[in-house]
Formats: sequence, C-alpha cells, structure tokens
Amino acid sequence: MSLDREFSTDGKELTIFVEQKFDFSKVQDFRFAYTDSVDGIDSIVINLQKTEYMDSSALGMLLNMHRTLGEQVSSFKIEKCRPQVLKILLIACFDKKFQIS
Amino acid sequence: MRILVVDDDTLNRFLLLHLLEQQGYLDCYEAENGFEALSLASRIKPDLILLDTVMPVMDGYALAPKLKQMAGDIYLPLIFICAVDDDASLARCLEVGGDDFVTKPFDKTLLAAKIRAHARTRLLSKRATEQNRQLSFYRNAVEREHKIVEHIFVNALTVDPELRNIIDFVLKPAGDFNGDMFLTHASPTGGLYFLIGDFTGHGLASAIGALPVAKAFQTMSNKGLSLMEMAETINATLLQLLPDEMFFAAILVEINHSGKQIDVWNGGMPNLLLQNKDGQIIKRFCSKHMALGILETKEFEADVERFEAEYGDRLIGFSDGVVEVENAQGKMLNDSGIEQWLQQDPLCDVAVLLSNLETYAGGIERKDDVTLVIYTCQTLTQVDRFAHASQLPVKVVLELDHQLLKSCDPIIELVNMLTSQLSLYGVHSQVYTVLNELYINAVDHGILELNSELKKTEEGFLEYFNLRQQKLATLDSGKVCISIQYQALQRLLSIEVSDSGKGFDPTILAKTLDLEKSYGRGLPLVKELCRSMTHSHNGSTVSVEFKM
Repeated sequence: MSLDREFSTDGKELTIFVEQKFDFSKVQDFRFAYTDSVDGIDSIVINLQKTEYMDSSALGMLLNMHRTLGEQVSSFKIEKCRPQVLKILLIACFDKKFQIS
Repeated sequence: MRILVVDDDTLNRFLLLHLLEQQGYLDCYEAENGFEALSLASRIKPDLILLDTVMPVMDGYALAPKLKQMAGDIYLPLIFICAVDDDASLARCLEVGGDDFVTKPFDKTLLAAKIRAHARTRLLSKRATEQNRQLSFYRNAVEREHKIVEHIFVNALTVDPELRNIIDFVLKPAGDFNGDMFLTHASPTGGLYFLIGDFTGHGLASAIGALPVAKAFQTMSNKGLSLMEMAETINATLLQLLPDEMFFAAILVEINHSGKQIDVWNGGMPNLLLQNKDGQIIKRFCSKHMALGILETKEFEADVERFEAEYGDRLIGFSDGVVEVENAQGKMLNDSGIEQWLQQDPLCDVAVLLSNLETYAGGIERKDDVTLVIYTCQTLTQVDRFAHASQLPVKVVLELDHQLLKSCDPIIELVNMLTSQLSLYGVHSQVYTVLNELYINAVDHGILELNSELKKTEEGFLEYFNLRQQKLATLDSGKVCISIQYQALQRLLSIEVSDSGKGFDPTILAKTLDLEKSYGRGLPLVKELCRSMTHSHNGSTVSVEFKM
C-alpha cells in the first residue's frame, strides 16, 4: 500500500505521511513516495505523526532519500514526531541533515 | 357531578333537590346545618355545594371558609341561597369564601345556569390540578435521574490530582449539566494531555456523550497515544453513539515531557491562545477541523499542529460560553475581549478571568457553560511516567523456528504484549527499536547470511530487500530465540537474542554513527538506547539491558 502524499499549492513542497510502522518492509513504498513525479519540488517534509515504531533501516531509507534528492531539494524536514521517535532521530544525529520538529 | 345541599328548612331542601333532579343531577346529598355538612362533605367529597346563610349549630358564613379549606387547591364552588337581599349580606357571602349567590325565591333557570357554569370551572381546576400533579411527578423523577447521572459524571470526570498543581482550570455549567467538559491525564512518556470540549446542547444528552469520551481519553492517555489517534477514536465512538444533530467540539492538547512542546488538535472550538511572559499573544491555535462525531472515519482529518514554546509561556483555552457572553447592552465579549484582559493582566489566573466575566455580564444569567483552562509551560518532573507500571518480575521466552521466521513478524506483537501487560506504554517505541534491531540482525546476518554492504546504494537497498525475501522463502532450517526478563524494581528489561547461525566477529562493528553510510546503524543505535550490550557464543548471542 502506497504512502499518503500531499503537494503544497505551488507544487514546491512534498509532504510524505509515514504510517505507524516505518521499517524495512516500507522500502519500496517509501522510495516510490519520494521519486514519483517530484520534478517540481524543492522541499520535502516527512510527517511522522502516526509513526510509533521505527528502526535503523528506516534511518537508512531517510538517508538514501537525502542523497538521491540532495541536489534538487534544498530543505529536508521531519515533523511531528512522537517523543520516543524523536529520541531515536536525535541519537542518530539526524538533526544535522534534517530540520526536525 | 356530586352536589351537597345545606339548609335547615326541609321544604327548601326538597325544592332544591327537586330542581337538581330536573336538571339531571342525580348524585345529590343533603345536610341540615353547617356541622353536619362539614362531616358529610369530608366523606362524600362533593363537587358543588348549595348552602343557606342562616342555620342553627353552624351557619353558612362559618361553614364556607371551612369547606374551602377542606377543598384545598381544587376549586369547590359554594353557591349561597340567601333569604335576605341587602347588599351587605350578599357581599359577606362572597367575603367568607362563597363563589356566588342566588336570592330566595330563586329563579330556577338562573340557578341551573350558575350550577353549570361553576361545574365547568370545577372541571378545569380538577384537570389543572391533575396536570400539576403529573408535572411534579415527572420533575421529581428527572431530578432524581439527574442526581444519579451527576454522581456518575463526577466520578468519571475526575482530574488526576497530580496535575491539579500544573493546570489551572474552572468549569461553570449554565444548568444542572455541563455540555462542556475538561479532562487531563499524565502521559507515560512524562508529559501530559488535556481536552477541552463542548457538546451541542446541555443536560442529560450531553452528559451521556461525555462518559465514553472520558473513558476513551483516559485509556488512550495511559497508552501514550498520539492526538491523531485520540481524535480518530473519539470521532468514531461518537459517530456511532450520538444522534445526527449532536456533536462534540473539542481541543486536544499534548504537552511532551519537556513541558513546552505543544501539540494541538482543534475541531470547532474557539482559538487556543499562547501568551508569552510579556503578555503578548504569540500564537493562536485556531480550529482547523470539524467537530467530533460528524465526519465518517474515511473523511476525518486528524492533522495536528505543533509549536515549540518557552518556559513561562501560558497556554489559555476556553469554551465558546466565554467569548459569547453578553453584557447588558447585548454585546458579546469576543476573542478580542478576552485577549485584552490577558494582555492587561499577564499573570491572571482562571479565577480572575472568571470574575472579569461575571463583571462583564453584569449579573445577567449565563446562557452557556463556561470553561477556562491555563497551562503554564514548566518542567514536568513531577509527572510519574511509571505510575501504572507492573510490579511483577516477568520473563518471556520465545523460540522461533524457520517456519515462524518465514510467516510472522513477531516483534510488534511481542512489544504490544509486553507494554500492555506490564503497562510500559511510555517506552514501547524504544523497546520496539531495540528488539527489532536485534531480531533483524539475527535473521538477516545470522540465519540468512546477508551482507549489509549491499545497502550502500539506493538500488542496493531494493536488491537487499528482494534477496532477503527470496532467501526467507526458501529457508528450511534455523532458529532464533528471544528472552526478555522484566525487573520491576530496577525498571530494567534484560533482553537476549540468539540465533543458530555461524556468528560473527563483533569487533568489526562500527563504533560511531556515520551519517554518510546508509547501513550499519542498527547496533550502535541499540547501544545508545541500552545500558549495556554484550556479544557471546562467537557473536551469535547478544544481550542488552534496557533501562527505562
């Protein structure tokens, strides 16, 4: 099942809504979400408000996205993390590559 | 129609009874004097009394007030039959309680007409009395039911005493029952939740809706669920329970363990205000959703707004009963009104706001419930994250053979079982991460002997994924064992995961988290989350201690 996405009205910002579990089983869906018809975007937001369970492969997938879109996209945000998920992102120093809120 | 004739003159009584009989009144009684009439009346309960003025023992003037007293609230017509026709005597008949009079010799037609007229009034009075009786019966029944529901209500809507010092609030119902509600609960991650809500309408109907909301809120708070999930669940519950015309406007707020990160879901409530220490309103969380209990689950949007505040900032919430309160000129207070009060007195508590409100209304009775809540951003060290955690030391052991490794995804289920059975909701995400990393390592590297280096590139990730699926599908041997020991007192989970694979050399593990590499992050992450990590049995067994 593909992940929910939302483009801003000017088409420049893409928000991807991740589900409750963000792990290796999402590798194809997640890749599709950030590569399918994204020519016009310059900003990506990963919305983790539903996400309770995340592992290191999800971190790897986020870094892959960063690397793949790094030249096109100037702003990478991760927003609305649950407190425990935030802790994991911070342990992995993801605040150095993503704006986390 | 029962009529009593009171006259000391036998002939007069005969004439009157004859007349009544002619008019069709057959249920008639007679008495010779006031005294006899009184005792007879108390027994036969007449509907109308014809009485003479002058009689021995007790005359008509003395009898009339006694009869009226006996009749109580129901109109008992007294018609005097007077021998005299001076104005003073006739007036006296009415003053002592008589309702009408005829003078002797009486006109038959006139007397009959008067009897009919008074009988009609008597009937009306009887009906009204019966209706009043029914009405007060129903009123008593409703009051009694209200008392019962109020009792349940008070018990259901208790506020965690620990949070009373943290959140300042007041609820003032307009009637017996609040359409408004306020709930607050500690979260297992060390923060807190609160809810300000307003059911359409007042009274029992809204009270009934409040009960499942309170219950759901409490359960979900205990589990540390997201506002999103809370809003979705409450919406679905109310959608199922409430009639179409009823719904529930609500603000859901989660404050995280830092005490100053604010999540808000506002559906149909007035703005939730954030005020800084200088008294300025720096943020208005306005309603972005429809109220709860309206939209079908598939249409429902639970998007949450997040804001990072400063310590000392104040979050101020209120129901529409506050902004819609009217002054003597009929002018509503509005958002601007309350914001002005807050700016004029940046430290005011809810008691001050409430008294401002009373002053503004100028003694006019409130039409709607009023709820005011103030949370001041502060460190939440006093919130006990493990207030509900189990005291029992428990050990869980799983042995997963190759069939199970293929067919199930055991970690989510295991984490759900542990966190719900032991009430460790606050740490479920981290326990998941730890267990999942160890389990995936055991399966991927121990059993399937996959090489992480494949994951260097984006394509490699997919290749790895496909290879994993393939190898798993054809797996015909291998075993992973998981053992988890919960030490309640130390709040410690000792986790051991071992696999039947060849093992590996743990010294090759990355020591730090390299942000440029998209793999090799698992065990370093576990190490950060746990107090200790050791490998044994040639690397095929790993033990960690997770401290809550």
